[in-house]
Amino acid sequence: MTQVPLQDDAESDPPLGRQTSFDSSFFILLVIACAAASAVAWTKGPTRVLEIALSYLGFLAVLSPKVLCGFFIAAAVPVLIPRETMIRWVGRESGNRGLFAATAAGALVPGGPMMIFPIAAGFRAAGASVAVLVAFVVSWSLLGLNRTVIWEMSFLQIDFVLLRVLICLPLPFLAGWAAARVLR
Amino acid sequence: MNILIGTVVLAVLALWVWQKLETEANRSEAYAGVWRMIRMNLPRLVIALISAGLFAELLPEDTVRRYLGDTSGFQGVLLGSVLGVLTPGGAFVSFALAAGAMNAGATMPAMVAYLTSWALFAVTKVITEELAFLGPKFILKRVMVSWPIPLIAGGTALAFT
Repeated sequence: MTQVPLQDDAESDPPLGRQTSFDSSFFILLVIACAAASAVAWTKGPTRVLEIALSYLGFLAVLSPKVLCGFFIAAAVPVLIPRETMIRWVGRESGNRGLFAATAAGALVPGGPMMIFPIAAGFRAAGASVAVLVAFVVSWSLLGLNRTVIWEMSFLQIDFVLLRVLICLPLPFLAGWAAARVLR
Repeated sequence: MNILIGTVVLAVLALWVWQKLETEANRSEAYAGVWRMIRMNLPRLVIALISAGLFAELLPEDTVRRYLGDTSGFQGVLLGSVLGVLTPGGAFVSFALAAGAMNAGATMPAMVAYLTSWALFAVTKVITEELAFLGPKFILKRVMVSWPIPLIAGGTALAFT
Protein backbone atom coordinates (compact mmCIF):
# COMPACT_ATOMS: atom_id res chain seq x y z
CA MET A 1 0.00 0.00 0.00
CA THR A 2 1.55 3.23 -1.06
CA GLN A 3 0.24 6.49 0.26
CA VAL A 4 -1.44 8.71 -2.24
CA PRO A 5 -0.39 12.29 -1.64
CA LEU A 6 -3.42 14.50 -1.28
CA GLN A 7 -3.26 18.16 -1.98
CA ASP A 8 -6.00 19.35 0.28
CA ASP A 9 -5.81 18.78 3.99
CA ALA A 10 -8.64 18.92 6.47
CA GLU A 11 -7.28 22.11 7.97
CA SER A 12 -7.65 24.30 4.92
CA ASP A 13 -10.83 22.64 3.77
CA PRO A 14 -13.35 22.00 6.50
CA PRO A 15 -15.36 18.88 5.68
CA LEU A 16 -18.57 20.14 7.15
CA GLY A 17 -19.34 22.89 4.72
CA ARG A 18 -19.62 26.62 5.00
CA GLN A 19 -17.84 28.34 7.83
CA THR A 20 -19.69 31.65 7.80
CA SER A 21 -23.45 31.90 8.08
CA PHE A 22 -23.83 35.42 6.73
CA ASP A 23 -21.76 35.54 3.56
CA SER A 24 -22.70 37.15 0.26
CA SER A 25 -24.84 34.20 -0.89
CA PHE A 26 -26.95 34.64 2.23
CA PHE A 27 -27.60 38.28 1.38
CA ILE A 28 -28.45 37.41 -2.21
CA LEU A 29 -31.00 34.97 -0.82
CA LEU A 30 -32.33 37.69 1.47
CA VAL A 31 -32.74 40.13 -1.43
CA ILE A 32 -34.59 37.47 -3.45
CA ALA A 33 -36.84 36.75 -0.46
CA CYS A 34 -37.63 40.44 0.02
CA ALA A 35 -38.47 40.82 -3.68
CA ALA A 36 -40.80 37.81 -3.52
CA ALA A 37 -42.40 39.15 -0.33
CA SER A 38 -42.99 42.54 -1.94
CA ALA A 39 -44.54 40.91 -5.01
CA VAL A 40 -46.91 38.80 -2.92
CA ALA A 41 -47.78 41.80 -0.71
CA TRP A 42 -48.48 43.86 -3.84
CA THR A 43 -50.72 41.28 -5.51
CA LYS A 44 -52.38 39.52 -2.56
CA GLY A 45 -51.91 41.85 0.40
CA PRO A 46 -49.37 41.91 3.24
CA THR A 47 -51.36 39.52 5.45
CA ARG A 48 -50.88 36.79 2.83
CA VAL A 49 -47.10 37.22 3.20
CA LEU A 50 -47.42 36.70 6.94
CA GLU A 51 -49.67 33.65 6.43
CA ILE A 52 -47.18 32.04 4.06
CA ALA A 53 -44.21 32.83 6.31
CA LEU A 54 -45.97 31.33 9.33
CA SER A 55 -47.16 28.23 7.52
CA TYR A 56 -43.68 27.53 6.14
CA LEU A 57 -42.12 28.09 9.57
CA GLY A 58 -44.60 25.54 10.87
CA PHE A 59 -43.56 23.23 8.05
CA LEU A 60 -39.92 23.68 9.07
CA ALA A 61 -40.87 22.75 12.64
CA VAL A 62 -42.51 19.55 11.34
CA LEU A 63 -39.41 18.78 9.28
CA SER A 64 -36.94 19.62 12.04
CA PRO A 65 -36.55 16.10 13.53
CA LYS A 66 -35.76 14.79 10.05
CA VAL A 67 -33.38 17.65 9.31
CA LEU A 68 -31.59 17.13 12.63
CA CYS A 69 -31.17 13.40 11.96
CA GLY A 70 -29.83 14.26 8.51
CA PHE A 71 -27.37 16.74 10.00
CA PHE A 72 -26.23 14.15 12.52
CA ILE A 73 -25.61 11.55 9.82
CA ALA A 74 -23.80 14.11 7.68
CA ALA A 75 -21.63 15.11 10.65
CA ALA A 76 -20.91 11.53 11.69
CA VAL A 77 -19.86 10.12 8.32
CA PRO A 78 -16.61 12.16 8.15
CA VAL A 79 -15.79 10.93 11.67
CA LEU A 80 -16.49 7.30 10.76
CA ILE A 81 -14.90 7.36 7.32
CA PRO A 82 -12.09 9.89 7.10
CA ARG A 83 -12.18 11.75 3.84
CA GLU A 84 -8.73 10.45 2.91
CA THR A 85 -9.96 6.85 3.19
CA MET A 86 -12.97 7.49 0.98
CA ILE A 87 -10.86 9.35 -1.55
CA ARG A 88 -8.48 6.41 -1.74
CA TRP A 89 -11.38 3.96 -2.23
CA VAL A 90 -12.90 5.80 -5.15
CA GLY A 91 -9.90 7.68 -6.51
CA ARG A 92 -7.88 4.51 -7.12
CA GLU A 93 -10.61 2.64 -8.95
CA SER A 94 -10.86 2.87 -12.69
CA GLY A 95 -12.97 1.44 -15.51
CA ASN A 96 -16.47 0.18 -14.75
CA ARG A 97 -15.58 -0.56 -11.13
CA GLY A 98 -14.61 3.08 -10.71
CA LEU A 99 -17.89 4.22 -12.24
CA PHE A 100 -19.88 1.99 -9.89
CA ALA A 101 -17.90 3.13 -6.85
CA ALA A 102 -18.35 6.78 -7.85
CA THR A 103 -22.10 6.32 -8.43
CA ALA A 104 -22.51 4.64 -5.03
CA ALA A 105 -20.43 7.32 -3.29
CA GLY A 106 -22.41 10.11 -4.96
CA ALA A 107 -25.72 8.63 -3.83
CA LEU A 108 -24.62 7.82 -0.28
CA VAL A 109 -22.25 10.59 0.85
CA PRO A 110 -24.43 13.05 2.76
CA GLY A 111 -24.05 16.79 2.40
CA GLY A 112 -24.49 19.77 0.12
CA PRO A 113 -22.26 21.21 -2.59
CA MET A 114 -19.77 22.61 -0.07
CA MET A 115 -19.08 19.06 1.04
CA ILE A 116 -19.35 17.23 -2.28
CA PHE A 117 -17.18 19.33 -4.56
CA PRO A 118 -14.17 19.34 -2.19
CA ILE A 119 -14.46 15.54 -2.06
CA ALA A 120 -14.57 15.43 -5.86
CA ALA A 121 -11.45 17.60 -5.95
CA GLY A 122 -9.87 15.09 -3.57
CA PHE A 123 -10.79 12.22 -5.92
CA ARG A 124 -9.07 14.05 -8.72
CA ALA A 125 -5.97 14.66 -6.62
CA ALA A 126 -5.91 10.93 -5.86
CA GLY A 127 -5.85 10.15 -9.57
CA ALA A 128 -9.51 9.62 -10.49
CA SER A 129 -10.35 10.00 -14.19
CA VAL A 130 -12.74 12.60 -15.59
CA ALA A 131 -15.25 9.77 -16.17
CA VAL A 132 -15.21 8.81 -12.48
CA LEU A 133 -15.62 12.44 -11.46
CA VAL A 134 -18.52 12.91 -13.87
CA ALA A 135 -20.25 9.80 -12.52
CA PHE A 136 -19.75 11.05 -8.94
CA VAL A 137 -21.07 14.58 -9.52
CA VAL A 138 -24.01 13.40 -11.66
CA SER A 139 -24.87 10.69 -9.13
CA TRP A 140 -24.85 13.15 -6.22
CA SER A 141 -27.00 15.55 -8.27
CA LEU A 142 -29.59 12.97 -9.31
CA LEU A 143 -29.56 10.32 -6.60
CA GLY A 144 -28.21 12.01 -3.44
CA LEU A 145 -30.10 10.09 -0.77
CA ASN A 146 -29.94 12.72 1.95
CA ARG A 147 -31.55 15.40 -0.20
CA THR A 148 -34.20 13.07 -1.58
CA VAL A 149 -35.24 11.78 1.85
CA ILE A 150 -35.08 15.13 3.67
CA TRP A 151 -36.40 17.54 1.07
CA GLU A 152 -37.81 15.93 -2.06
CA MET A 153 -40.06 13.53 -0.16
CA SER A 154 -41.27 16.41 2.02
CA PHE A 155 -42.60 18.42 -0.89
CA LEU A 156 -43.58 15.86 -3.51
CA GLN A 157 -45.70 12.72 -3.74
CA ILE A 158 -43.97 9.39 -3.19
CA ASP A 159 -44.95 8.00 -6.62
CA PHE A 160 -43.39 11.04 -8.28
CA VAL A 161 -40.17 10.67 -6.28
CA LEU A 162 -39.98 6.93 -7.01
CA LEU A 163 -40.56 7.43 -10.73
CA ARG A 164 -37.90 10.13 -10.91
CA VAL A 165 -35.32 8.11 -8.96
CA LEU A 166 -36.04 4.97 -11.00
CA ILE A 167 -35.57 6.82 -14.28
CA CYS A 168 -32.38 8.49 -13.04
CA LEU A 169 -30.83 5.32 -11.58
CA PRO A 170 -28.73 4.29 -14.61
CA LEU A 171 -27.89 7.81 -15.78
CA PRO A 172 -24.79 8.61 -13.64
CA PHE A 173 -23.10 5.40 -14.80
CA LEU A 174 -24.05 6.15 -18.43
CA ALA A 175 -22.78 9.72 -18.16
CA GLY A 176 -19.45 8.45 -16.81
CA TRP A 177 -19.33 5.77 -19.49
CA ALA A 178 -19.98 8.39 -22.16
CA ALA A 179 -17.29 10.63 -20.67
CA ALA A 180 -14.77 7.78 -20.84
CA ARG A 181 -15.50 7.27 -24.54
CA VAL A 182 -16.17 10.75 -25.84
CA LEU A 183 -13.58 12.77 -23.94
CA ARG A 184 -9.81 12.84 -24.36
CA MET B 1 -47.11 10.62 5.41
CA ASN B 2 -43.96 11.01 3.33
CA ILE B 3 -42.50 13.20 6.03
CA LEU B 4 -43.21 10.55 8.65
CA ILE B 5 -41.59 7.80 6.54
CA GLY B 6 -38.55 9.96 5.90
CA THR B 7 -38.25 10.87 9.57
CA VAL B 8 -38.41 7.24 10.66
CA VAL B 9 -35.87 6.14 8.03
CA LEU B 10 -33.43 8.88 9.00
CA ALA B 11 -33.96 8.33 12.73
CA VAL B 12 -33.13 4.62 12.38
CA LEU B 13 -30.10 5.47 10.25
CA ALA B 14 -28.96 8.12 12.74
CA LEU B 15 -29.31 5.64 15.60
CA TRP B 16 -27.25 3.08 13.71
CA VAL B 17 -24.58 5.68 12.95
CA TRP B 18 -24.61 6.77 16.62
CA GLN B 19 -23.98 3.16 17.60
CA LYS B 20 -21.16 2.87 15.08
CA LEU B 21 -19.43 5.94 16.47
CA GLU B 22 -18.75 3.84 19.58
CA THR B 23 -16.66 6.21 21.69
CA GLU B 24 -17.81 9.33 23.53
CA ALA B 25 -15.04 11.31 21.81
CA ASN B 26 -16.34 10.37 18.36
CA ARG B 27 -19.87 11.22 19.34
CA SER B 28 -19.05 14.63 20.72
CA GLU B 29 -17.11 15.36 17.53
CA ALA B 30 -20.26 14.54 15.57
CA TYR B 31 -22.40 16.69 17.91
CA ALA B 32 -20.02 19.59 17.36
CA GLY B 33 -20.47 19.07 13.61
CA VAL B 34 -24.26 19.12 14.00
CA TRP B 35 -24.08 22.35 15.98
CA ARG B 36 -21.85 23.93 13.31
CA MET B 37 -24.31 22.89 10.59
CA ILE B 38 -27.26 24.32 12.50
CA ARG B 39 -25.45 27.61 13.00
CA MET B 40 -24.46 27.81 9.34
CA ASN B 41 -27.67 26.59 7.79
CA LEU B 42 -30.60 27.61 9.98
CA PRO B 43 -30.77 31.29 8.89
CA ARG B 44 -30.44 30.20 5.26
CA LEU B 45 -33.01 27.44 5.72
CA VAL B 46 -35.62 29.80 7.19
CA ILE B 47 -35.21 32.45 4.50
CA ALA B 48 -35.07 29.96 1.62
CA LEU B 49 -38.11 28.03 2.80
CA ILE B 50 -40.22 31.17 3.20
CA SER B 51 -39.18 32.49 -0.21
CA ALA B 52 -39.97 29.09 -1.72
CA GLY B 53 -43.50 29.47 -0.33
CA LEU B 54 -43.75 33.00 -1.68
CA PHE B 55 -42.58 31.91 -5.13
CA ALA B 56 -45.10 29.07 -5.19
CA GLU B 57 -47.79 31.67 -4.43
CA LEU B 58 -46.61 33.82 -7.32
CA LEU B 59 -46.74 31.05 -9.95
CA PRO B 60 -49.18 32.18 -12.63
CA GLU B 61 -51.60 29.23 -12.86
CA ASP B 62 -52.86 29.88 -16.37
CA THR B 63 -49.37 30.16 -17.77
CA VAL B 64 -48.21 27.04 -15.93
CA ARG B 65 -51.15 25.03 -17.26
CA ARG B 66 -50.67 26.32 -20.77
CA TYR B 67 -46.93 25.69 -21.11
CA LEU B 68 -46.32 22.83 -18.67
CA GLY B 69 -49.78 21.22 -18.52
CA ASP B 70 -51.33 18.13 -20.09
CA THR B 71 -51.12 19.31 -23.67
CA SER B 72 -47.51 20.48 -23.42
CA GLY B 73 -45.89 17.09 -24.16
CA PHE B 74 -42.20 17.19 -25.01
CA GLN B 75 -42.28 20.98 -25.20
CA GLY B 76 -43.15 21.01 -21.51
CA VAL B 77 -40.14 18.75 -20.90
CA LEU B 78 -37.98 21.17 -22.89
CA LEU B 79 -39.27 24.20 -21.00
CA GLY B 80 -38.86 22.42 -17.65
CA SER B 81 -35.23 21.69 -18.53
CA VAL B 82 -34.55 25.36 -19.27
CA LEU B 83 -36.32 26.59 -16.12
CA GLY B 84 -34.30 24.15 -13.98
CA VAL B 85 -31.03 25.77 -15.02
CA LEU B 86 -32.35 29.18 -14.01
CA THR B 87 -33.75 28.28 -10.58
CA PRO B 88 -31.45 29.44 -7.78
CA GLY B 89 -31.15 28.41 -4.20
CA GLY B 90 -30.80 25.58 -1.76
CA ALA B 91 -32.13 22.07 -1.90
CA PHE B 92 -35.79 22.79 -1.46
CA VAL B 93 -36.59 25.92 -3.48
CA SER B 94 -36.93 23.82 -6.63
CA PHE B 95 -38.93 21.11 -4.85
CA ALA B 96 -41.37 23.67 -3.44
CA LEU B 97 -41.72 25.27 -6.86
CA ALA B 98 -42.26 21.89 -8.55
CA ALA B 99 -44.94 21.01 -6.00
CA GLY B 100 -46.62 24.38 -6.56
CA ALA B 101 -46.46 23.97 -10.33
CA MET B 102 -47.96 20.47 -10.15
CA ASN B 103 -50.82 21.84 -8.05
CA ALA B 104 -51.35 24.41 -10.77
CA GLY B 105 -51.52 21.66 -13.42
CA ALA B 106 -47.93 21.01 -14.55
CA THR B 107 -47.31 17.44 -15.71
CA MET B 108 -45.06 14.87 -14.04
CA PRO B 109 -42.66 14.55 -17.03
CA ALA B 110 -42.16 18.32 -17.22
CA MET B 111 -41.35 18.40 -13.50
CA VAL B 112 -39.02 15.38 -13.75
CA ALA B 113 -37.14 17.32 -16.42
CA TYR B 114 -37.23 20.48 -14.32
CA LEU B 115 -35.84 18.88 -11.15
CA THR B 116 -33.25 16.83 -13.03
CA SER B 117 -32.04 19.89 -14.87
CA TRP B 118 -31.94 21.95 -11.69
CA ALA B 119 -30.01 19.23 -9.86
CA LEU B 120 -27.43 19.00 -12.63
CA PHE B 121 -27.08 22.53 -13.93
CA ALA B 122 -28.55 25.15 -11.54
CA VAL B 123 -26.37 28.11 -12.51
CA THR B 124 -25.84 29.39 -8.96
CA LYS B 125 -24.51 26.03 -7.74
CA VAL B 126 -22.29 25.51 -10.77
CA ILE B 127 -20.79 28.98 -10.53
CA THR B 128 -20.32 29.23 -6.77
CA GLU B 129 -19.14 25.73 -5.91
CA GLU B 130 -18.34 23.51 -8.85
CA LEU B 131 -16.28 26.20 -10.59
CA ALA B 132 -14.33 26.90 -7.41
CA PHE B 133 -13.40 23.29 -6.69
CA LEU B 134 -13.27 21.57 -10.06
CA GLY B 135 -12.59 24.37 -12.57
CA PRO B 136 -14.07 25.41 -15.93
CA LYS B 137 -12.48 22.60 -17.96
CA PHE B 138 -14.16 19.93 -15.90
CA ILE B 139 -17.51 21.75 -15.97
CA LEU B 140 -17.32 21.94 -19.77
CA LYS B 141 -16.63 18.21 -20.02
CA ARG B 142 -19.36 17.31 -17.57
CA VAL B 143 -21.90 19.48 -19.38
CA MET B 144 -20.85 17.96 -22.72
CA VAL B 145 -21.84 14.46 -21.59
CA SER B 146 -24.71 15.26 -19.23
CA TRP B 147 -26.74 17.94 -21.03
CA PRO B 148 -29.23 15.44 -22.57
CA ILE B 149 -30.06 13.90 -19.17
CA PRO B 150 -33.07 16.13 -18.30
CA LEU B 151 -34.51 15.51 -21.78
CA ILE B 152 -33.92 11.74 -21.48
CA ALA B 153 -35.41 11.62 -17.97
CA GLY B 154 -38.40 13.79 -18.90
CA GLY B 155 -38.91 11.91 -22.17
CA THR B 156 -38.84 8.56 -20.36
CA ALA B 157 -41.39 9.85 -17.84
CA LEU B 158 -43.51 10.97 -20.80
CA ALA B 159 -43.44 7.42 -22.17
CA PHE B 160 -44.48 6.02 -18.77
CA THR B 161 -47.45 8.30 -18.12
